[in-house]
Amino acid sequence: MTTLQPCAPALSHITVTPADLATQVTALLLQPGWRFGHLTARSLDARHTAIDVLLLDTQRGAVTCLTAPLADGQAEYPSLTAQLPAAHWAERAVGDLFGLRAVGHPRWKSMLLHNDRWPVDLFPLAGAAQATTPREPYRFLQVSGSGIHEIPVGPIHAGIIEPGHFRFSCVGEIITNLEIRLGYQHRGIEGRLTEVPWRQARYLAESASSDTAAGNALAHALAVEHLLGIAPPPRAAALRILALELERLANHIGDIGALSGDIGYSPGASLFPPLRGATLALAQTLTGNRRQRWFVQPGGVARDLDDARRRALLQGVQDLARRVTDHLPLVLEHAGVLERMDGVGRLSPTLARDFSIVGPAGRASGTGYDARVFSPAGAPPAAATRRIEGDVLARAQMRAEEIASSVAILTQTLDTLPDSPIQVALPATLPPDAVGVGVVEAWRGELLHWVTTNADGAIARYAIKDPSFNNWTGLAIAIRGNLVTDFPLCNKSFNLSYSGNDL
Amino acid sequence: MRNPFLALVRAGTQTLTQSFPDLPTEATGLPTVTAASCRGCGACVAGCPTQAIVVAGDEVTLDRGRCLGCGQCVRCCPTGTLAEERATRTAVRTRAELLLSNHPGPRTPSAALPLLRRSLHVREVSTGDSAGDLEVIASTNAQFDVARFGVHFVASPRHADALLVTGPVGRGMREALLRCYAAMAEPRLVIAVGTDAISGGLFRGGYAEANGVPTDLPIAAYVPGAPPHPWSIIHGLLLAMGRD
Ligand code: SF4
Ligand code: SF4
Repeated sequence: MTTLQPCAPALSHITVTPADLATQVTALLLQPGWRFGHLTARSLDARHTAIDVLLLDTQRGAVTCLTAPLADGQAEYPSLTAQLPAAHWAERAVGDLFGLRAVGHPRWKSMLLHNDRWPVDLFPLAGAAQATTPREPYRFLQVSGSGIHEIPVGPIHAGIIEPGHFRFSCVGEIITNLEIRLGYQHRGIEGRLTEVPWRQARYLAESASSDTAAGNALAHALAVEHLLGIAPPPRAAALRILALELERLANHIGDIGALSGDIGYSPGASLFPPLRGATLALAQTLTGNRRQRWFVQPGGVARDLDDARRRALLQGVQDLARRVTDHLPLVLEHAGVLERMDGVGRLSPTLARDFSIVGPAGRASGTGYDARVFSPAGAPPAAATRRIEGDVLARAQMRAEEIASSVAILTQTLDTLPDSPIQVALPATLPPDAVGVGVVEAWRGELLHWVTTNADGAIARYAIKDPSFNNWTGLAIAIRGNLVTDFPLCNKSFNLSYSGNDL
Repeated sequence: MRNPFLALVRAGTQTLTQSFPDLPTEATGLPTVTAASCRGCGACVAGCPTQAIVVAGDEVTLDRGRCLGCGQCVRCCPTGTLAEERATRTAVRTRAELLLSNHPGPRTPSAALPLLRRSLHVREVSTGDSAGDLEVIASTNAQFDVARFGVHFVASPRHADALLVTGPVGRGMREALLRCYAAMAEPRLVIAVGTDAISGGLFRGGYAEANGVPTDLPIAAYVPGAPPHPWSIIHGLLLAMGRD
């Protein structure tokens, strides 16, 4: 059994028994500002495994890891989901990856690995001699009653979009239940991240979700820096903020256009994509790549911003802001648009809190949580705005507000770019038995990279929690009682990542 | 201004008038192998995250089918043997053409496809994508406007002439992809967009067997990059139609 040494004062560690895990976690979560971060498992050696839970103290900016080692030969542990609904997908993912069963889970089934595509006894992250429980055949929830019919959609969808399966149970045109089955894109990123040399892990880590390169690269860099106990130079920290906020801007602008397209409002659908293109051009000016690839790295960033490009960026952000401010009311104040978005796909604040819905979708349902207040590497904490309506309109309005705050953060950061090197040297090795956590408010919300090293200083477990991992459940809840034809609109208002979820 | 029609008129025509412009200087292009002689220092090989470069003596071979375009090798090459490519016509018809070398062997150009020259209906399938999808979508927007080249993206494989694949095709997506291909009418072809689709890229070699588009599918064009630029994707589509 290894013990974990905190690398920074903000990390504390508690070892508990599996039987006490749920009680301990719920007790800690009663403290003000504490939230559930993630749950996963980790091999301690070829035979032994532990369940790890990560909790975030958003008031102090601290993290707590709870580790519950399982007894030799034990392939199950008491589920936390009954007390902590937000853990329901995480426990299912542990079932697939490690072959460990969460006993008492109310909807126990596979999550990432599908039996018809993967051998039932393949548990890719389990230790070689570890006890496992076999994966059971997948069964969709059966809704019964007169007039109930099912609509299966996917994995391949009609448009140019990532694959996943939606199973709608409907009465006439009304959706009574939506079951979302993902995992088709599982590429084994977490496993691969323990195999590649850690200095090259950033390429893979940033490819976790197709449209969140800056967010994932930053979460990876923060986690590795946390492990190493180092900080990037001030200029690099500022350049990272630019990358993160440009990514937010590009995606939010794109979403306003896509929402317009989904309700057939063509002025919005044709005015916003060029603005997104303009934002990608700014991202290219900053990073060399429209999708901000290969820019943020542990210890700093890959290239500097000279003054000519800094001024071009500032000018570009201001031009863009002017055009966006001009165009937004055309969508969000248009009577026809309001009519289509108002009251559709409502997610109540209570369920948003229980299922730990993050990002703009969470804030549209009253959560008020923005990981930028937690993470020192994010932007200056803006007062996290929130709404309580929790419908498509509120999620669109949250995006509009975040577009404005991103513009302000970009302008301020570009105006006050500190002078310093852009990279600190990295040590040759990672510290042994250590934990590093990177928390980023990516454009969809809280993104976690959680790295644990073993006694040799090698990465023993690399866990990624995409914001979509929380929010897919939000979509499934929000669409209940709505029309089948409103699904694309509601789906777009969440706009979740399949690749980030499937890993 | 609150009038959407005025806003549309004021925004003007968005479509780019110049086709296949070079990348601007601030963009990182894909690496290429120049005639400048290599001193065999091996720095490029050591820094490449996908083992895309092989150096033997003074012979450098770069596999663009595995390259992410991260720019690492170009930054560390002391001799200028590796340099950035600024052109956006980077798609090719055969896997062999993605291998660049400073000692190139003879090339046999592949025959152009006589059918489907004027118009192509494409079914896109994403299989674990790293932004290739997003650039495919961008190629359809008002700026790049791939429709002006006769290319249309369709929902049903029954309507498609071409299957455009992004992502490394892991275990979870292989069956869906093959069924989609089987549902297409002849003549049909496949286009691999992005390094993930060509070779699996970063995911290659893992337990998910995400090693790229199955090689028994008839791939008519390869578009390297992670992700490729929208112009490069359009180039790949035109190549597959035998038009470039
Ligand atoms: S640019 Fe391509 S070949 Fe060069 S280091 Fe990066 S991935 Fe390797
Ligand atoms: S191509 Fe450049 S970096 Fe690579 S071995 Fe030759 S001289 Fe060194």
